[in-house]
Parts: sequence; C-alpha cells; structure tokens
Amino acid sequence: MAIVKDSGFEALEKLKSTEPPVFLAPSSKSEEARAASQHLFEKLKPYNPKSPFDELLVDGFDAEQIWQQIDMQSQPLLSSLRQEVNRFAKNPEEIRKLGNLTLKVSQKDDVDEMDMDGSESGDDELEANESEGEEEEDEEDEDEDGDEDEEEKNGDNEGIEDEFFKIKELEEFLEDGEAEEYGIDYKNKKGVAKKKKQNLRDDDDEEDDEEDEDDEFGAFAGGDDEEADKLGKAKYTDFFGGKKKETKVKWKDLSEDEAEFENDQGDVKLSTHEKERVKLQSKIEQMEKANLDPKHWTMQGEITAAKRPKNSALEVDLDFEHNARPAPVITEEVTASLEDLIKSRIIEARFDDVQRAPSMPTKAKREAKEMDESKSKKGLAEVYEDEYVRTANPAFAPTTFSDELKKEASMLFKNLCLKLDALSHFHFTPKPVIEEMSIQTNVPAIAMEEVAPVAVSDATMLAPEEIFSGKGDIKDESELTQEERKRRRAKKKRKFKAESAKEPVKKARDATTGSEGL
Amino acid sequence: MAESTQMEVETATQTAPLPAKPTFKPLKAHEMSDGKVQFRKISVPPNRYSPLKKAWLDIYTPIYDQMKVDIRMNLKARKVELKTRADTPDISNLQKSADFVHAFMLGFDIPDAISLLRMDELYVESFEIKDVKTLKGEHLSRAIGRLSGKGGKTKFAIENSTKTRIVIADTRIHILGAFTNIKVARSSLCSLIMGSPAGKVYSKLRSVSARLNE
Repeated sequence: MAIVKDSGFEALEKLKSTEPPVFLAPSSKSEEARAASQHLFEKLKPYNPKSPFDELLVDGFDAEQIWQQIDMQSQPLLSSLRQEVNRFAKNPEEIRKLGNLTLKVSQKDDVDEMDMDGSESGDDELEANESEGEEEEDEEDEDEDGDEDEEEKNGDNEGIEDEFFKIKELEEFLEDGEAEEYGIDYKNKKGVAKKKKQNLRDDDDEEDDEEDEDDEFGAFAGGDDEEADKLGKAKYTDFFGGKKKETKVKWKDLSEDEAEFENDQGDVKLSTHEKERVKLQSKIEQMEKANLDPKHWTMQGEITAAKRPKNSALEVDLDFEHNARPAPVITEEVTASLEDLIKSRIIEARFDDVQRAPSMPTKAKREAKEMDESKSKKGLAEVYEDEYVRTANPAFAPTTFSDELKKEASMLFKNLCLKLDALSHFHFTPKPVIEEMSIQTNVPAIAMEEVAPVAVSDATMLAPEEIFSGKGDIKDESELTQEERKRRRAKKKRKFKAESAKEPVKKARDATTGSEGL
Repeated sequence: MAESTQMEVETATQTAPLPAKPTFKPLKAHEMSDGKVQFRKISVPPNRYSPLKKAWLDIYTPIYDQMKVDIRMNLKARKVELKTRADTPDISNLQKSADFVHAFMLGFDIPDAISLLRMDELYVESFEIKDVKTLKGEHLSRAIGRLSGKGGKTKFAIENSTKTRIVIADTRIHILGAFTNIKVARSSLCSLIMGSPAGKVYSKLRSVSARLNE
C-alpha cells in the first residue's frame, strides 16, 4: 500500500511538473496520469461509503470509462460534502471538533486533499474541492472568533446565571427561534450566503430566483468581519458572469448544442428526437397562426347571411329542430296499405263521420215577463198595490197572467188524461170532482152515468115545462097575419106603458143625468 | 282652603237642577208657518179643461176626504186651489195633493196620478225632444211616431216593462214613476228619439226590466 501510495504520489508530482501543452497530445504521461488518478481515488474512497468501486479500474479501460468511474464516485461525494457544509453552517462547534481531530490525526491526508490540482479528473471537481477547502478554512476561522465571543459573554453575567439558567443558552435559543421564523439569515448570515450560493450554482434554470436572492444578499450580507466581506464580494457575477450575458449564453449554449449535434452527426440527417421536435414546432406554429387569424364563420356565434360567404350554409351540415313533421314519402307500400285500410273500412261500414256535438243542456228558461204591448188595464197605483200585496201576503195576491195560463193548461191536461183513462177500462177512475158551480147540461141521464159511448137516444133531463112554457099555438114571425101582428104590437104597448108608469118615480131622484125621454 | 272652595263650586252646580227638556207635539199643517194657512195654486192648461170637468169628482174626493186638504176650482183664473184645513195631519199632504193635481194637468190619467198620493217614491220627470236631439219638420214628426209606435204599442211596452206612465204631448215627454224606472224609461225613449229601431229598444228593455223586477 505504501508503495502504491508513493507511486501514486510520485505520479501526481510528475503530472504537476509537466508542461500544460504536453496534455494536449496523447503521450506517455497517460500511465502516470492513471496512476495519479488511482491514488486520488483511493484517498477519497473512505469518505465515500456509497461508491460502487473499491479502486479505480484503469487497465484496458477507455478515457471515457475511467472518467465515468471517477464521476460515479465523486457525485455522491460532492452531495455529502455539501450536507456536511450545511451542518457546519448550523453548528460551528462541530467544525472545531472535526477540525481539531483531523488536524491531529491525519494532517497529511488533509494536506494531500487540499493540494489537489492538475489531474484528468476534471476542472469542476478541482474547483469544487478548492472552494470547499477555502470554505472550510473560513468556517474554522469563524468558529474561533465565535468561541472567543462566547467566552467573553460568559464572564459578564455571573451574577444572574445559575446552573439551570444561562444567558448564553437563552440567547442561543432566541436566535434559533428567530432563525426558524425568518430563515437562517438572522443567525448566521455568512453561512447562509455560502449555502445559497452553492444552491444557485447547482440550479441553472431558476434565473429569477437567483436574481431575487441576489437582492436579499445585498441586504443581509454586509458584515464587518473580514470573512463576511470576502464572501460578500463573491457576487453573482463571479459565478455567472453577468445577468444579460447569462441568457444569451444559455441560448447560445442551446444552439451550440444543436449545432454540435448536427455537426457531430451530419447536416441532412436529424435524430428522431429532432425530427419530432421539428414536427412539433411546425404544428405549434400552425396552431398559433390559426388562433391569431379570424375564426371560421361557423365558430362565430350568431351569423347573419350577410356576414358569411355566399351559399356557405349549403356546405355545412346544419342541425336544427324541425317543428313540422316531414312530408311522407309515397311509395307503393304506402298506397297499398291505404287502399287496404279503405277497403276494410267500407266492408265494416265504420266511417268516421263527423257527429254533431251535443248541445248544452237547456236550462229552465227564466219566467220571462211577456212584453205586453197593450195599454195596461190597471193604473200605476194598482200595479204597485199588487206588487206590495204579493210581497206582503202571498196568499191574497191576485193571480197573474202566467198563473192563469198555467191553470188553463193544467185543466186541459186533466181532461185529456181522463179521456185516455176511459179508453182503458181496467182501472176505472171516476171523473174528478171540481168544485164549481153545478152545470146543468141538457143531456140525458144515461149519458152522464155511463162512460161508454152511447147510442142515439135523446131523452132530455129537463121537464117539458122547463123547456117551453107557453100557451096556445106558437106561430113564427113569418106565419103571422096582419091582425095578429097588430094584436102583438098593442099588447107590447100596454106593457111598456105599465112599466114606464113605475119608473118616473125613480128618475126624479137622479138630478145629474139627463132623463131619457120616452 | 282651596279644596273647600272647590267643594263649594261642585255643590253649587249640583244643587241647581237642569230644566226638563221641553216636549212639543208635532205641528199640524195648519199651525206651521206660525199658524197661517198654506195655499197651492195649479194652473189649468186649456186642453185639460174639459177632462178636468169630467174627472172633477174623482180628483175632489180623495183630496178632500183622505188628504184632508181643501180644494176648489177658480174658474176665473183657471186655477185649482188647495188649502190646508185645521185638521190636515201633515204638511206633506198638501204637497202631495198639489203634485197629484199637477200630474193630472200634465196629462196623466186619474188612476195613474192617484199613485202619487199613495206612494212617496214616485216622481214626475219632463223633458223635450229637442233636449235630446235637434229635429225639425218631418224628422220631428217621425221621431214622435217612433216614440209612440203603431197604436201606441211601443209606449205601452215601455210603460208595462218599467212600471211607469208616459205622456207624450207633442214635443214634451212626461214620465211618472219611481226614480230608477224613470231612468230606464228615459234611456229607452232617448234611444228611440236618436233613431234606434223599436226592436232594439225592446230587447234592451227586456234585459233591463228583468233585472229591475228581480
């Protein structure tokens, strides 16, 4: 191991001494370089437990392959180193411990590590290691200062402090709280700055954040310490070489990458990815153009005929509701079916004739007072009188015209009913007794008693004297002789005179009327 | 001290009782207007002179016997005079009698005019044809003919359906009846004057009178 180590170290020494132009061409230095890189690899191995390689495999391997191995080892190493740095930023004491231990135990190794330079492993790694080494130094110095400050603080507060309560711890606690609330800026400005800068270097894409954080750095980073000044002077520009340049550089990088790709693989042929990309670009351009152009008339919402091109509605498949049923297409089948229907209906005699709608049920017509067009027989007073009587005493009210009509109608109907009943002898009902003045009709008794139609006989009820009461010959006017006429006249005169002799006594009383003279 | 004075005031008001409200018997017609006798004078138009002579007793009897109003005919002045008597119960009797006589003078029959004596709510309304529409010459004659109808049937129809009595005296029209009935009769007469045919007036009359008589 020592031999190997020494050989490796020797190789490193040799590489250091060689001129830079020698590296450009392949030379015998390659073996030395390999040995040197192996040595370095072994040195770094203990700090990197995750690495898959125990030693750097060099024999029969390509430069690419060796580089890959180194890369695989160094990547996790870098991240672990970063974590370590962050940890140290939070807890400066640990640095002290570590620093003391390392200084005491393996000074040599540290020296070797710190003095790394000029190897094929890559500039980035070297730079990282160098900067990390610097940072470690700075942090160690800071911690020493911090320790001094802490010792001073302890001396002042002996009166208040207890075994339970220490002002130093209180202050630390407060600072921790503030750090949590406001970010770590408050506690350790310099540590934060460093950490953030490291993050920036890793994240190339977030340019905006970097700019904002630069502003923040301007606010916070401005301490009186020398170390702070050093770090404060380490600006964005140091890392990225100016904001404007950066963007251009980026684009240039991309295009350069593309150019490199093309140059690498020929001018005409594109990789599948590139082809897809080109296609996509063209598509995107097309879509963008379509978006910017005015829309097709079908997409413009409500369009009148004036706004769309002529006959354009014919070309488009329009869909709208038809309120009317479409006209039936007359085919042979349709006509045949209709004719069958007609025939069957005729056979059945089931015609859909329009039936007269049934008239409304007639209400009982109100008793309409007849328009009497003749002079009323009653005076106005009597009219009102009758009305009053009707309202006051309905019983004594005289019958109205309608009442009389009703009476007459009912009488006629009763007569009719009686006659009809007589025709059917089964149930004999006698004539209803109407309380009227008895009417003596000159009808034979047999006719009154018997209902059945009677034969011819004409026997009268009245006595002969009742029929005619007279004496002697009865002669008609035309049969009388002259003497008989004279005799009659004389008789008449005598009678009249007798009567007029009684009357003048009566007439004398009546003064107003003029007496009708004889 | 103040209380005692107050107390005195109250007692003073209480001790003097208010006089009793005077109760008067209703005034007789005779005593009204400070006991003077009241007159009504109704002039007789020349065309009503002989009908008055014929129906005099029918006028005289109800006024003298039932209304208890003195009535006489002033032949010289051609006026019928009415006077309250001592035993006329109410002053309205005189007025009713006067209205009755006036109605007769306008041309109403005795049985129709008598209703004025018997009922309070009857009135007489008069208007001229020219109030409704200015008609001249033949138009006027035709209007009068339309009003009466053939044999007076239109007039009777209106009279019977509205319970009124109508007198058409040349260009004057008088209607006797209750207030609402007068209105209906008047509207139908006016429509006849304006020119509507009799049939139309009948139909309207029918509906209105049916509603009236309900």
